[in-house]
Amino acid sequence: MVSAIFEQIVNGIVSGSVYAIVAVGMTMIFGVLRAINFAHGEYYMLGTFGAWFAIEYFDLPYPVAIVIGVIATAVIAVVVGQFVMQRIVGAPPETGVLATLGIALVLQNTVILVFGGGYKFFSGGYIEPVSIFGFTLAEQRVLIIIVCILVFIGLELMVTYSRMGKAMRAVSQNIECCAVVGIDVPQVALRTFILGACLAALSGVLTAPVNVSVYGGMGEIITFKTLPVIIMGGLGNVRGTFFAAMILGIAESLVATYVGLQFRDTVGFATLMLVLMWRPHGLFSAQARF
Amino acid sequence: MSPNDLSLPAPRRDLRLPFGAALAAAACLAPLFLGSYSLHAIIIALIFLLPAHGLNLLVGYTGLLSLAQAAFFGIGAYTSGLMAVHFGTPFYLNFLAAGLLAGAIALPLGIPALRLRATSFVMCTLGFVIIGQAIAKNWIGLTRGDMGLSGIPKPYFALGPASFTISGTTSFYYLVLVIAVIGTLAAYLIVRSAAGRNMVAIRENETLAESVGIPTWRYKLVVFMISAAFAGLGGSIYAHYLTVVSPLTFQMYYSTTMLIIVLGGGAGTISGVVFGSLLFVGLSEALRVAPEVRMIAYGLCLLALVFWFPKGFAPLIDRFWSFLRERK
Repeated sequence: MVSAIFEQIVNGIVSGSVYAIVAVGMTMIFGVLRAINFAHGEYYMLGTFGAWFAIEYFDLPYPVAIVIGVIATAVIAVVVGQFVMQRIVGAPPETGVLATLGIALVLQNTVILVFGGGYKFFSGGYIEPVSIFGFTLAEQRVLIIIVCILVFIGLELMVTYSRMGKAMRAVSQNIECCAVVGIDVPQVALRTFILGACLAALSGVLTAPVNVSVYGGMGEIITFKTLPVIIMGGLGNVRGTFFAAMILGIAESLVATYVGLQFRDTVGFATLMLVLMWRPHGLFSAQARF
Repeated sequence: MSPNDLSLPAPRRDLRLPFGAALAAAACLAPLFLGSYSLHAIIIALIFLLPAHGLNLLVGYTGLLSLAQAAFFGIGAYTSGLMAVHFGTPFYLNFLAAGLLAGAIALPLGIPALRLRATSFVMCTLGFVIIGQAIAKNWIGLTRGDMGLSGIPKPYFALGPASFTISGTTSFYYLVLVIAVIGTLAAYLIVRSAAGRNMVAIRENETLAESVGIPTWRYKLVVFMISAAFAGLGGSIYAHYLTVVSPLTFQMYYSTTMLIIVLGGGAGTISGVVFGSLLFVGLSEALRVAPEVRMIAYGLCLLALVFWFPKGFAPLIDRFWSFLRERK
């Protein structure tokens, strides 16, 4: 019984890691642009499709496919960032919502139009089981957890010490002052956006071998699950996002096992609403910043 | 022409009335000219008109961007479908019940949701759609889950001993037309009333509106309920038209469609919403555009609307009206 619960918690940590990598990009984009990116899950989908395409059509090994998936997404993110996301800086909140909803529709349905709406089989990844501390886990899941930890250490260092990270924090605090002291705000916004989209793509490629199936509409559910995570974590709060993602992952996994699988996808939005009612600034931020 | 002839050219007649009459005649005679598929397209457009009017009151007049419209649309569809299937009640009862229930459910949902601002409100309303779909899927005892409700009867009316069923496309068209006209009139009356002006005041500056004594909280809540009721009414006709309801009625697709109608047609105008639903739903349905292509077009429209045409088609319609009125 205890080991069963433990196993579910580990599963939850794996899906929590997936959410964390996607959500941290979204929360950083929010910090800079003050806009919720409703298209964020679509970059997850694009990354997965890029890797699937590389494996299926060019027979490339999985590690190369990861790189291709992320690069393909980065290219699309550059275009979207140039033409859409930069315009959102300083615009009213409705602009961000509607523009990113529009992007989501275009990206998702273009992929469906090109590759068809059906499920595709993702072959690749490391699905051999390994044994750690007495219970077995697919290698891919271990990889996801490791990558998640590395990503968060890297981001923490970048945000704290690098020039780019400092600029991001500055923009998230006061756009006008940044412009006054010579920070190129649209440039920072663009770079943050591309970084966030690439992280989402990375998460998608890493998860694909676990989920096995790939389809055009898969991004939407990821967007829906990322929203509660970033709200719980406190908008713009990188560390909070990590813990919030773990909480959601573990909660979903426990609910799926002990309440019913069909309720798993509602956990996120139920928590989202509770957090919005009770602590709208998130569980991990001391006060609302936005 | 002599140089001292100073009379102005003869004033042109006000063309608004003739135009309105022509429009009304076209609407009444449409079944004579249109094939049953085009008629179907117009019926779908008119069904979406009601939820769009509701959303317009919320987005265009009160300034609250909501994605919850699909949730209330679904509630209306299920209410109507369940009543018709289980109790065999006539259409007008189902229709009214759908609107009332959707409006009533909007009260407990609106109280917490309307405390939120901007983006948080949007996310919360999105949550209603997701949770509505989950309930429709999992409350199998009531909704039959993923199988959906099928065999919802076509609208039938029973007045005393007399009863008749609306089964053909043409008669359904007239039913929807009447409902759409009444709905549009209702929206128009709301907007033109003092309440409508207060709504605009809240949209323009909520703090100022509050300070001049408009009970903004109560206004927002009531408008949220009215908009939900409009969506519920639309859902009811939709259920009776398609005769099937499934959990997929609770879908972002519907919220997006209604948003496109309102923003594209021109948020904050009644004529714009009518135009928008005919253009964005009617036309794309009539042209049999594949759903993916339609969604891509909607997405591009959203981007164009946000960045270049924030008022949608409203300025164009305005110019057309003033052209008709012009007396020169």
